[in-house]
Amino acid sequence: MRKSRSGGNEETPRQNGSSGRRRAEVDGEDADSSLAGLLDEDDENDQGLRREIRSKYRDLISSVQQNREDLLSPSNNKLTEVLEEANKLFKDVRQAREAALDAQLLVVATDLGKEKASQLFSDGNAFDPTAFAEHLLSFMGLNRLEDDRQNEATSDGYLPKDAWHRLAKSTECCFRTAPTFHYMMGSFHAEPPPPKQRVERQRRVPNKEAQRIMPTQLKKMEESHQEATEKEVERILGYLKSYHQDDPSTPISYYEFVVDPNSFSRTVENIFHFSFLIRDGLARMYLDDDKLPCIAPVEEGEVEPAGASTRKQCIISMSPKMWKEIVDNFEIKETMIPPPETQNE
Amino acid sequence: MAQRKRLSQHNNTQTSSQLKRRSSSSLTQDEDEEATFTQPSTSQVQRGLEKLSQAQVDQKTAEVVQYFLMKDQKKVPVRRAELVKYMVKDYRTIYPEIIKRAARTFEQVFGLKLVEIDPKQHMYILVNNLETPARAGPVECPTNPKTGLLFVVLSVIFMKGGIVKENLIWHTLKKLRVDPGQKHEEFGDVKKVVTDEFVRQKYLEYLRIPHTEPVEYEIRWGPRADLEVSKAKILEFIGQLHEQDPRSWTQQYREAHGTQTPGQASRSSSQR
Repeated sequence: MRKSRSGGNEETPRQNGSSGRRRAEVDGEDADSSLAGLLDEDDENDQGLRREIRSKYRDLISSVQQNREDLLSPSNNKLTEVLEEANKLFKDVRQAREAALDAQLLVVATDLGKEKASQLFSDGNAFDPTAFAEHLLSFMGLNRLEDDRQNEATSDGYLPKDAWHRLAKSTECCFRTAPTFHYMMGSFHAEPPPPKQRVERQRRVPNKEAQRIMPTQLKKMEESHQEATEKEVERILGYLKSYHQDDPSTPISYYEFVVDPNSFSRTVENIFHFSFLIRDGLARMYLDDDKLPCIAPVEEGEVEPAGASTRKQCIISMSPKMWKEIVDNFEIKETMIPPPETQNE
Repeated sequence: MAQRKRLSQHNNTQTSSQLKRRSSSSLTQDEDEEATFTQPSTSQVQRGLEKLSQAQVDQKTAEVVQYFLMKDQKKVPVRRAELVKYMVKDYRTIYPEIIKRAARTFEQVFGLKLVEIDPKQHMYILVNNLETPARAGPVECPTNPKTGLLFVVLSVIFMKGGIVKENLIWHTLKKLRVDPGQKHEEFGDVKKVVTDEFVRQKYLEYLRIPHTEPVEYEIRWGPRADLEVSKAKILEFIGQLHEQDPRSWTQQYREAHGTQTPGQASRSSSQR
């Protein structure tokens, strides 16, 4: 490759400048030996020249990479021209850096050369993928629009929906694919899991719709369901404290506090909410002289966390019969904890 | 009540993280299986067979056959390592016998061929042993449009010498209104289908070209394509499409009809 001499205009990379350095025509095979023999001190040290050569190499490399398709086209000899250009540049190469760039250019160029050679694979009757695509489109049933513009690069038209199915069907014969295995009646699932999922989804959907349509109302709903307990507990604590403040010396009977003579369910709710106060250490329960339970709020400084040393648990159960008895025995006429204003369903 | 809830949540997170650890290491376990599993010798197989009843061996063979059939739905090859790990397990000593019997079952019962496409990594695929009939069969199977896409890609590669740059494929597909940059209504992410799905199914190989900046890839036929796809039939179809005699593409014709093992031919002719 080093032997190629172009027949056209031979431009040396630098025609101005120190022209005395124009080398005598060097035979390709002896390139190495001639280089070694003609070292010139000025040449080596001229940084500007070195930079120029390197920059030219880089330009050449980038132009090769960018115009790849162009260079590959069998219609021109541009690749050869690139190599000739490289040859000329190489004559002035003195240092390793430039030689490395030259080597890089060579790698890129030979890659292209290999590719160009492989293009020779298709002899005479070359296969044109574009024409192939055009034929395929017709086969797939492209409805070409009636157009006067015959020279359109891309064929307009409407490709039917089953175009690819049609192609797949016709080309099935080329494939020896193993038919895939599917159960005829579908596979057997154990019954329980699917229904569960369905139920959950059904429940979720109405909620979402409710959210979208009536956001303001939803806020109220949320409060009532999630924070109802906390609010109730706080409310009861408030009542307990106020009763205690009214009369700190008199103990408050537990039953009198929680029982609602008008509603059994309210009574149970009050017991439930009060148990939170006990758990959190905000109220305390003790037995008075008559062995009846009494309650009192815990003073600010005395509040102990739930996991305190003294842990006593008890279970209170109440049936409607018992509740009636308590109402009669204690003569509870009205509830100490009024029911909340908004009725929760 | 609240405390109990907290405990159960803790347990759940523990098991899920354990599961994650297990699944990430399962791949390496597969490789370990592969490394430690050496093909038993014939004498070992004989000894193993003596210890087991005929029924047991048949049962194991049937399980392996079923496993293959299920895995073949996705057309992804089955590795020997996963077979040994999940199916064969304690019957490892008679593994070659099981594979032999499974292959015989496939051939005689299903008309399929069990082929090892990668002797190093020991991967198997199922190929149809029967010739596809000239006319459509009695049962109408729904066609997968991806077969059409695959056909286009394979034919372009074949007609262009067995290996092409990916840009040529994209260029051709664009002409067919299939743009890898856009979501296609039939195929979705076309680039993924071609460079990932078809490659995993071993229909194509997607290889990096050295010394290219920016990185370029080339595509060639994969081992499954070599076994399943008939070059002669492709050429015939293309001939019909172009209304030309298939013989007019002499080199492709030679390749399609000349060699016994089309896989080897394509590889040698496109040696780089």
